[in-house]
Amino acid sequence: MAKNLMKGCEAIAEAAIQAGCRYFFGYPITPQNDIPEYMSARMPKIGGCFLQAESEVAAINMVYGAAGAGARVMTSSSSPGISLKMEGISYIAGAELPCVIVNMMRGGPGLGSIQASQGDYFQTTKGGGHGDYHMIAYAPASVQEAIDLMQTAFDVADKYRTPVMVLADGIIGQMMEPVEIKENTGNAPKKDWATTGWKKGERARAVVNSLYIEVEDLEEMTERLQARYRQIEKDETLVECYNTDGAEFILCAYGTVARICKTAIAQLQKQGVKAGLVRPITVWPFPAKAVHDAMCAPGVKMALCVEISAGQMIEDVRLAVNGEREIAFLGHAGSRVPTAEEIAEKVLAMRGA
Amino acid sequence: MKQFYVLIGNFGSGKTEISLHIALDAAKRNKKVVMVDLDVINPYFRLAERKKEIEAAGIKLLHPNFAYATVDVPSLPPDIYSVFIDKSDVVVFDVGGDPAGATALGQYKPNFEAIEAGQLEAGQLQVLCVVNPRRPFSATAELVLDMLSKIQLRSRLSINGFINNGNLSTETTAEDLRLGYDVLKRVADTTGIPVLYTAGRAAPLREFLDGKPDARYIGQVLQITTYMHRDWDNFTRYGI
Repeated sequence: MAKNLMKGCEAIAEAAIQAGCRYFFGYPITPQNDIPEYMSARMPKIGGCFLQAESEVAAINMVYGAAGAGARVMTSSSSPGISLKMEGISYIAGAELPCVIVNMMRGGPGLGSIQASQGDYFQTTKGGGHGDYHMIAYAPASVQEAIDLMQTAFDVADKYRTPVMVLADGIIGQMMEPVEIKENTGNAPKKDWATTGWKKGERARAVVNSLYIEVEDLEEMTERLQARYRQIEKDETLVECYNTDGAEFILCAYGTVARICKTAIAQLQKQGVKAGLVRPITVWPFPAKAVHDAMCAPGVKMALCVEISAGQMIEDVRLAVNGEREIAFLGHAGSRVPTAEEIAEKVLAMRGA
Repeated sequence: MKQFYVLIGNFGSGKTEISLHIALDAAKRNKKVVMVDLDVINPYFRLAERKKEIEAAGIKLLHPNFAYATVDVPSLPPDIYSVFIDKSDVVVFDVGGDPAGATALGQYKPNFEAIEAGQLEAGQLQVLCVVNPRRPFSATAELVLDMLSKIQLRSRLSINGFINNGNLSTETTAEDLRLGYDVLKRVADTTGIPVLYTAGRAAPLREFLDGKPDARYIGQVLQITTYMHRDWDNFTRYGI
C-alpha cells in the first residue's frame, strides 16, 4: 500500500482491520473519537460490525462476548473511559480470552483534560481491574509504530488468550503523519475453545467463565495464568536502546515522550554531551533487564526518567536498577508535555551539579 | 466587492491551512478580512488556536464560544451573522470536516442564498471543496463523489469548485499533486464542477506544474506556507 497521510487514531483503526479485526464496540470520548468514527465508516463496507454501545461498560462486555465466540475484536477509549472498562478487562483476563484495547491517554484524574498524558501507567501495568492478572501493554512512540504494534497486539492476544492494551496518548492519536499500512496481514489461529456451537463427539464443550467457587479450582486457573505471564515476560518483552553505547547519561521514557527525548539527545550531542535512551515498547512486561543494563553500565554517570505524569514508570525503573543507581525524574502531572529543550537543560543541570 | 470563501471537505483535507492562506493573503493586500471558525467537530487543530497570529495580521476571527477551551460544547456565537452585513471585503468560512461538520453551515442557507440572488452583490460566493487523495476516504473519484453528495446535502449549499491539495505533509512530492489532479479530473468531468485551485508548497508544486498538466484542471495556483500542521519539533509548543 502506498503511503497515506493519517492521524494516529485513523491509522490504528485501519491497522486493526488489516489485522483481521471485524468487531468494534466503543463509546465516544476525546481524544480517541477518530477511532470509532473511522470504524463506523469502514466496518459496514467489509462485512464487519461497528456498534456504538450505551456506555464503556457495555462496550467492554460486548468485547467479552465476541472474544468468547472467537472473534478478533477490539475496543478503544481514553483514560476515564478505560477506568470504566476495568471490570470487564479483569473478567476477560479471568476467562482467558483474547482482545485488544486501545487507550489514548488524556490528562487526569477525573475528567482531567483532552490533551495528552501518561497518567495511566499504574492503571495499565499494576492491575487497574481486580485480581491477579496482567495485561500486555504496547506503548508506541509514533503513528507508524502504533500501526505495526496493532498487528502484534492481535497476534499476541490470540497466542496467549489474554487482553492486550495499546497504550498511546492524545498526541499519537491526533498527530498526522505519512504512514504505510500493510494489507491483510491478519492471520488468526484456530480457536477450538471458542463458544461457536457444539456437536456431540466433535470436541469438548467450550465454556467461557471466570467464576471458580472451589478454592482449588481458582488456584489452578491463577497458576495457569501466572505460568503464562512468566512465558510472556520471557518471550514478548520489547525494548529499544538508542544511543546507549558509551553514553554518559541514560534517559528512560516511553511513547511520545521517548520521541521528544531523542530530539533532546540530538541537541545534547551538539553540545558534546553523550546521552542515550532506553525505551520500553512493552510497559508490561517491563524490560527490567535492558533498563538495568543500560543505566548501570560502566561509564554511565547519571540516569533520568521522563514522563507526562507525576512519576509512575519511575517506580519500575527503580525496581529494575534496585538501588545500584540514583534515578532522577523530570515530568509534569496532568497534560503539560516536557519539551526537548527542557529535557536537555535538565541533563545539563545534572551534569553541572 | 465583498468576497465569501466557504471551505469544506473531508476531515484533515487541509481546509484550515488553505483558509489561513486565503485570509492572510487578502490581509496583505490591505483587505478587511473576517475568518469564521465553524468547526463543531474537532476540538484540536483549529483556527481558534491561532487567534493571536490571525489577529496580529489584522484579521477578525469569529469562533465557537468554547473553542480551544477544552470544553466539548460546540455552540456558535450569534455574531457570525454579522459577516453577511458588515463592511468587510473578504470573509472566509473554515468549516468542520466531513458531512457532519458541514451540517453547521446549513443554518446560514438563507444568508448565502441572499448573496447568490444578488441581494448583496453577484458572484461573490465561492464554496470550495478541499481534496487530499492521500487522506482516508478521498483516494478515488468514487469516494470524492460520495463525500460531495453528502456534504452538499448537509450544508444545503452547492459546491462551486475544488481545491487540489494532494500532499503527504513533510514528505510531499509532485506525485501527490498528480494523484489529486487525476482524481479531480474525473470528478470534474463527471459533475461539471471545475477545479478552481491547486495548492501546495513551492517545490512539489513547481515540479508538478513543470509536467505540463492540462490547465483546465489546475485553476489558480496557491503556493502555501504551512501554519497549522505540527511536526515533532514544534508540537510541544502548541500541544495537540
